Amino acid sequence: MRLLLGLLVLWASSSHAEVCVTDDLSRQVCLPKAAERIIVLSPGIAEQTFAAGAGSKLVAAVSFSDYPEAAKKLPRIGGYNRFDLEAIVALKPDLLIAWSEGNPAEQLAQLDALGLNIYYSEPFEFDDIASTIVRIGALAGTGEHALAVANHFLSGIQDLRARFEDAPPVQVFQQIWKNPLMTVNDQHLIAKVTRLCGGQNIFGDLNQLSPRIDLEAVISANPEAIVAGGMGEDSPEWLDDWRRFDGITAVQRNNLFFIPPSTLQRPTPRLLEGATLLCDYLETARERR
Amino acid sequence: MSGANFQASAIRPFRPLPLIILAGIALASLLIAVRVGSVEIALLDLWQVLCGNGNSLHQTLVFELRLPRALAAFATGGLLAVAGSLMQVLLRNPLADPYILGLSSGSAVGALFAMLMGLTGLIVSGAAFAGALISATLVFTLANGGGSWTPTRLLLTGVIISSGWSALVTFMLAISPSDKLPGMLFWLMGDLAYSGSPWPALLVLISTCLILTPLGRSLNVLARGPMQAATLGIQVKQMEWGIYIFASLLTAFAVTTAGSIGFVGLIIPHMLRLVLGNDQRLILPASALAGGSLLTLADTLARSIIAPQQLPAGVITAMLGVPTFLYLLHRSR
Repeated sequence: MRLLLGLLVLWASSSHAEVCVTDDLSRQVCLPKAAERIIVLSPGIAEQTFAAGAGSKLVAAVSFSDYPEAAKKLPRIGGYNRFDLEAIVALKPDLLIAWSEGNPAEQLAQLDALGLNIYYSEPFEFDDIASTIVRIGALAGTGEHALAVANHFLSGIQDLRARFEDAPPVQVFQQIWKNPLMTVNDQHLIAKVTRLCGGQNIFGDLNQLSPRIDLEAVISANPEAIVAGGMGEDSPEWLDDWRRFDGITAVQRNNLFFIPPSTLQRPTPRLLEGATLLCDYLETARERR
Repeated sequence: MSGANFQASAIRPFRPLPLIILAGIALASLLIAVRVGSVEIALLDLWQVLCGNGNSLHQTLVFELRLPRALAAFATGGLLAVAGSLMQVLLRNPLADPYILGLSSGSAVGALFAMLMGLTGLIVSGAAFAGALISATLVFTLANGGGSWTPTRLLLTGVIISSGWSALVTFMLAISPSDKLPGMLFWLMGDLAYSGSPWPALLVLISTCLILTPLGRSLNVLARGPMQAATLGIQVKQMEWGIYIFASLLTAFAVTTAGSIGFVGLIIPHMLRLVLGNDQRLILPASALAGGSLLTLADTLARSIIAPQQLPAGVITAMLGVPTFLYLLHRSR
């Protein structure tokens, strides 16, 4: 993967004038020169763009773009699900980075029709996160910095994978919401981190990405660890409610863990922090056997 | 609720048989709710658990999860159905339900605002209760403003205030961050999963039935129209105020327990009236039993039909209620 990323940048920087990358919808995005005025259409992408070293080229972002600190000061062009087209056009961006699943397709089509350059982002796997950073860096002319960040992220993930590949599995219940009780299936990024750490998501087979589930089902599945964190605000007190069900192994062994949602929720390099924490917790759970 | 239905009542002697049947149905619905869930509990095991024995997993499931939730569902359904019958008497309008005067949207504004502020648990319930009462007070004050107090004026004020609250709800949903949305949407759909302790709602329901039963005769007269009621010596205005405040409180308790669950408050009183006639002495306690049973069964289905995934109970009340109601309506022609 690292070699592939290197090639990507090499190819992107080979012709000095024009930069081209392939986005997550397999479209070619070509700019006559490196982007100088970028607008990002999701909080996660804002974070990715800063990670790629292109934060100084951002001219606007959507509401709730809150990381890093500098992202909070960017002008806003609306929320990720409804943005102000006139404000976008007036800022004369030379690159828009869109979130293909979250942004409204109609508004993106209008922006496309106006002749703006749009890069569609939809990272599903750890590799996608790294390559997104590299591609944004390539488009913004900060390719070398982006490559270093991406490689650091990937090698961190690979270290974790190597450490826990053969670790004895831990049955994990991932709680992302309390009222109603919600979890994730195996397609969710959080579940992928759990798998990386040698955990098994007890509700991995359900159809929905973040299904609402029954308290009874958790009790009868009897997980060895319960991990809260995901969509909600910081709510470690969620975990205390589990203590009244002392038939659950996770409760008996006190394997109730909290992970700050912002480190597990977004497909950005911070995921490595969340992943490291989760892996440590599951290792603790193994030690308590 | 046609005129003919109104005429036929009041003189008839009180018949307890329907209430005994409904009480049986209510008991059966509670038993089903305690028996059904993701974990299979055999009837014999259930009997042991109810006698205080049985294994600890089953005891936890029955006494900590299923029974409190079933009782909360029963109380909520009962409160909504009683409040619906009262509103229909008060407004003399067949479309009246507990929410028609803006109580559910008022409480939704309270609850969603609390969630938007990042608050959780009891504070959200408190905000919902406060929202419902603020809405009721607002509607009552405005409708009462000119001194003239007619059902039409009350109804219009309620409907308008209600749309105002709904707009506020939409506004809050539009500006809230995506990570708060699931909680908010599920609250709006109405759900027993976060009902907490069933006792407040259950106590309110029981005391309601005790208070209202002796008033049944006066309510029967009032349902025929304020003129007849006044000539028969009923203090119409006080009675109407009382009904309004009472129904509002019942609805506020129901909404605080389970969010806004639709259909129970509208359909149950109508169904009972089609079958039993319009005698409030019978309709009010029957509403409590039938509304409670319907919501208990609906909630049991909602949590077991595609388990471990959960549905909002409101979906099931509509699916069960609408065909049953249409059938009764068709048959009564």
